[in-house]
Amino acid sequence: MLKVQEIRELIKLINDSKIDEFEYETEGTKVILRKNRPSEPSPAAVPVTQAQAPVQAAPVVVNPVPADSSVQPNQEELKETRVDSNLHKIISPMVGTFYAAPNPDAEPYVKVGSKVNPDTVVCIVEAMKLFNEIEAEVKGEIVEVLVENGQLVEYGQPLFLVKTE
Amino acid sequence: MPSTKARILMMLFEHPHQFISGQEMSDAIGCSRTAVWKQIKELEKDGYRIESIPKKGYRLKGTPNRISPEEILAGLKTEIFGRHIVYEPSMPSTQKRAHHLAEDGAPEGTLVISDEQTEGRGRLGRTWHSPKGTGIWMSLILRPKLSLNKIPQLTLMTAVAIVKAIKVVTGIECQIKWPNDIFYNGKKLVGILTELQAEENQAKAVIIGMGMNVNLTEQDLPDDIKKIATSIQMITGKPCSRAHLIQDIMKQMESFYHFYLEDGFGLIKTLWETYAMNIGRIITARNVNGQVVKGLARGINDEGVLLLEDQEGRIHRIYSTDIEFNG
Repeated sequence: MLKVQEIRELIKLINDSKIDEFEYETEGTKVILRKNRPSEPSPAAVPVTQAQAPVQAAPVVVNPVPADSSVQPNQEELKETRVDSNLHKIISPMVGTFYAAPNPDAEPYVKVGSKVNPDTVVCIVEAMKLFNEIEAEVKGEIVEVLVENGQLVEYGQPLFLVKTE
Repeated sequence: MPSTKARILMMLFEHPHQFISGQEMSDAIGCSRTAVWKQIKELEKDGYRIESIPKKGYRLKGTPNRISPEEILAGLKTEIFGRHIVYEPSMPSTQKRAHHLAEDGAPEGTLVISDEQTEGRGRLGRTWHSPKGTGIWMSLILRPKLSLNKIPQLTLMTAVAIVKAIKVVTGIECQIKWPNDIFYNGKKLVGILTELQAEENQAKAVIIGMGMNVNLTEQDLPDDIKKIATSIQMITGKPCSRAHLIQDIMKQMESFYHFYLEDGFGLIKTLWETYAMNIGRIITARNVNGQVVKGLARGINDEGVLLLEDQEGRIHRIYSTDIEFNG
């Protein structure tokens, strides 16, 4: 049986949510909650989005041009590409907090100069208490650590550069 | 194939108030009646109290204070969750064991349980106090076909499932502290630690570790933990069957898991917000580097990320933190 307080909670939650209809059935009890709201247009939303659009676009322009440009390379650029291809980027597979060490008192998993194998754990990325140990996935040497302990990292963000063997 | 002893124990648990004859058991298992009798004696040595009456058979009267896979399996109402149990009286850490089993290909739904953890651990290498015979210390292996950015939602799902299971079995209504700690009256009752084995952008295995204080009493808790933790028995004043709790947690988790894979995060988000203790309150979020954001907890977004509004009205997305109230 649902208690009155629980039903009250349900009503509040459904009211606050985008759910239009809610049905719940448990031993002998059935609750159906339905919202009868006319679909109200939100006039404020459109202009706000438009006003924000140019502001949001700005950072995109600032993005650095990627080094491995595929435009007809001359000799010098070719060399650079070759150097770059030796450097493997370990990227973050999800948004979350970057931890360089297994716990605050421990040494970091790897530092610049550390030799890694494909299965070497290089860091942890955590989101909502899900801990993801990131492995190097290549054999080589760490040449640069691109992020700091405790930093929020984005999906696909490079974390380390590895000189592959 | 379970041992003869395990199968006899299973049968006893499946018929909690009835006598089963030695003949019935020997027929079902395919062994002699003498073998049944021998194993009954073995079970008695293990601490099971078994009533035996000539011409009627055997009946289970009491169990030792330990978790047995047979007892869990006998009342388990799931298809795969908890169907394969790896149990040992003592383990360093069920989470560590589950990791090894997952690497060796253990199937989805494998449940690792111990009566005692000697090196139980929590977030960021913190220890988890798990004394013998008092709690549920277990780790469940899942193999969801999900991209990695979806996996954190499973930790919120687990919290919702456990809150429901505790309510069903004990009547206690707990609350969730973002993202997935379970509290009663401001004291911690359950901790959940989720870890991932990944390859490229796909999860190979998700290992959900759960630590629940069930029959701990005040004497079991060190002074520093007493202030911040509680147990089911400390709340209700009586011991609670750990096997029943485990059975219901598995059932709730399995049903939410199917729901999540088919219909997404929506229902779980709603239930999570119903159980949440910090939404609508001023809280302080502190990250590992000591950076602090204070603001009003607005709720969670569709990914499960905590939304915190500071005094200037800016919304901060919180992915990981230690939460303090009114700090």
